[in-house]
Amino acid sequence: MDAEKLFARYRELQSYLGWSPDDALRVQAVESVLTPCLPSLIDDFYAEIERHASTSKVIIGGEQQINRLKQSLIRWLQELLSGPYDQDYVVRRWRVGWRHVEIGLDQVYTNVALSRLRFGLLGALGQAWQGDQQGLVATIQSLNKLLDLDLAEIEDAYQTEHWSRHQRDERLATIGKVAGGIAHELRNPLNVIKTSAYFLLNARNASPEKVTEHLQRISQHVTASDDAITALSNFAKMPLPTLSPFSIASCVQDVLETERLPSNVQVELDIVPTLSPALGDAAQVRIVFGNLIRNARDAMASGGRLTISGRAVNDGVEVAFNDTGVGIPADQLGRITEPLYSTKARGLGLGLALAKAIIEKHRGTLRAESELGRGSTFTVQLTAPSSDERNKP
Amino acid sequence: MTNTATSILVVDDEVDTCRNLADIFADLGYQVATAHDGNAALEKLQSSRYDIVLLDLMMPGMDGVALYEEMKRQRPGMVAVLTTAFPNHPRAEESLKAGVWRIVPKPVDLTRLLRLLDEAAHLPFVLIIDDDADLCASLWDLLTEQGFRVTFAHDVRSATELLRNDAFNVVLIDMRLPDGDGWEVLRMVHQVESQARTIFITGHRTELGPSLEGSDREAADAFCYKPFDVQELLATVERLSRLRSN
Repeated sequence: MDAEKLFARYRELQSYLGWSPDDALRVQAVESVLTPCLPSLIDDFYAEIERHASTSKVIIGGEQQINRLKQSLIRWLQELLSGPYDQDYVVRRWRVGWRHVEIGLDQVYTNVALSRLRFGLLGALGQAWQGDQQGLVATIQSLNKLLDLDLAEIEDAYQTEHWSRHQRDERLATIGKVAGGIAHELRNPLNVIKTSAYFLLNARNASPEKVTEHLQRISQHVTASDDAITALSNFAKMPLPTLSPFSIASCVQDVLETERLPSNVQVELDIVPTLSPALGDAAQVRIVFGNLIRNARDAMASGGRLTISGRAVNDGVEVAFNDTGVGIPADQLGRITEPLYSTKARGLGLGLALAKAIIEKHRGTLRAESELGRGSTFTVQLTAPSSDERNKP
Repeated sequence: MTNTATSILVVDDEVDTCRNLADIFADLGYQVATAHDGNAALEKLQSSRYDIVLLDLMMPGMDGVALYEEMKRQRPGMVAVLTTAFPNHPRAEESLKAGVWRIVPKPVDLTRLLRLLDEAAHLPFVLIIDDDADLCASLWDLLTEQGFRVTFAHDVRSATELLRNDAFNVVLIDMRLPDGDGWEVLRMVHQVESQARTIFITGHRTELGPSLEGSDREAADAFCYKPFDVQELLATVERLSRLRSN
């Protein structure tokens, strides 16, 4: 963190609280009275820490560490009373918050700890005060401002550090997921390429047909590897859909023809014949339907029924893909459209994320319902073209 | 016994991986069949016999371990090799407990895999004919642990079938079987499997008495009395398995 920026921010907070040179003078005036009370304040403070599991757990260095911590707490309080409240002072406050993240101290303890110290300091001040009531109130207010400024600094540091660590962890987790996904998706084609190459190099009785077959297979799987990489990089930059009216029924038909479902999966089409066309990019919607149909197939490894129904709704068209497969556990249902999240043995975990992204760009919705052991229903809702658009070719 | 080529069933949901392995194995003289999921593999098992099954761990539906467990129930004599891209997956470890012989990480090192298949094809083969299923299961564990390929039959009928189809190094025969007696089986072993060495299992020493007077051809190579001295039994199987001239 940039020290100058930190200090500028501190100055801003000071002016927000109305901190003035008079406040600094008032605090300095009681420094000599309060300093002798500090050691007992601190002893009380650490005794309290040791009584609570959630705070004592961060102290792992025993007596020695406690002594070091007491020293730095004393230094902190002395600086608080003496100033100067300059850039170094602010940076040191910032480090306290940073350190709390480092040792894993819950942020609420910063608040209660400061409250306890404040209580001790003000109590000591009240006892030692020789002047008038008005002077005491003013000094208490000055001390409070100072403590609140410190607390604001420490909390700000805590939040900043905590957030940056959180982001770093998330980033690492994402990199891990992407790497795992790519590794998984590339390993299979590479394995095929490798074994075909092995056959070509080592086969003793390879017929010319077999040689051609293996060369073609190598070529196919180089393409498959390339596609996996393209799918991943395209995911982030899916082109905007070109919207035009298209027929849901023929779009579903096209996809079913390319997917070739196994014979133990029965397909039932229940699309209203008079269903009006939907507005969308047919090529992209085919990707969505393809993913939903493949998911349904994978959910029904030992066979089942896929029902695809289409009907008109308010101002659009709704297509539902219902399977009688294994279903999705309730705790996973919310995560299935996250990129790189997969419950399947194979695949990148991009299918539903891509489907969702495409449908959202169409201003449509993708809904998932599932019952474990019973099956799942994915419902896509798309808008219908306006009468003008319907007349376009 | 019949003297056919070693047969391998390759189970992998990656169709092309299956095809490639099939081509490579076939080129080396193995008989190869492929299946792309657990159910298809179990269906193949209904109509054909295989010496070795090479199966992938992660498959949609039944995974490799669940599939092997079912296969072992039906054909305990198949040697299973599991391939997986995740050799450290807990399921991979469970596969070894289920009786999988070896795990080969994916992508497969073919030189290593081919060496393993050759080794699997030449494991000394032990047939246990005993109606006590628990005993068979225990001996299966003990003997596979010792590097044998093991199968069992609980009655004369299924023993006959196994003896017709496979070449065994050692046959353990229980004296009393639900549909016949051990002597009958012993004679059959000597008929169809003249190279196999035989061990007679009995709970009563006296059961053997009169028959020992029969011709040498009919006598077993060794006798084992229940309850077994496991060490001694293993040593006997080991010794006899080396005697068979392949």
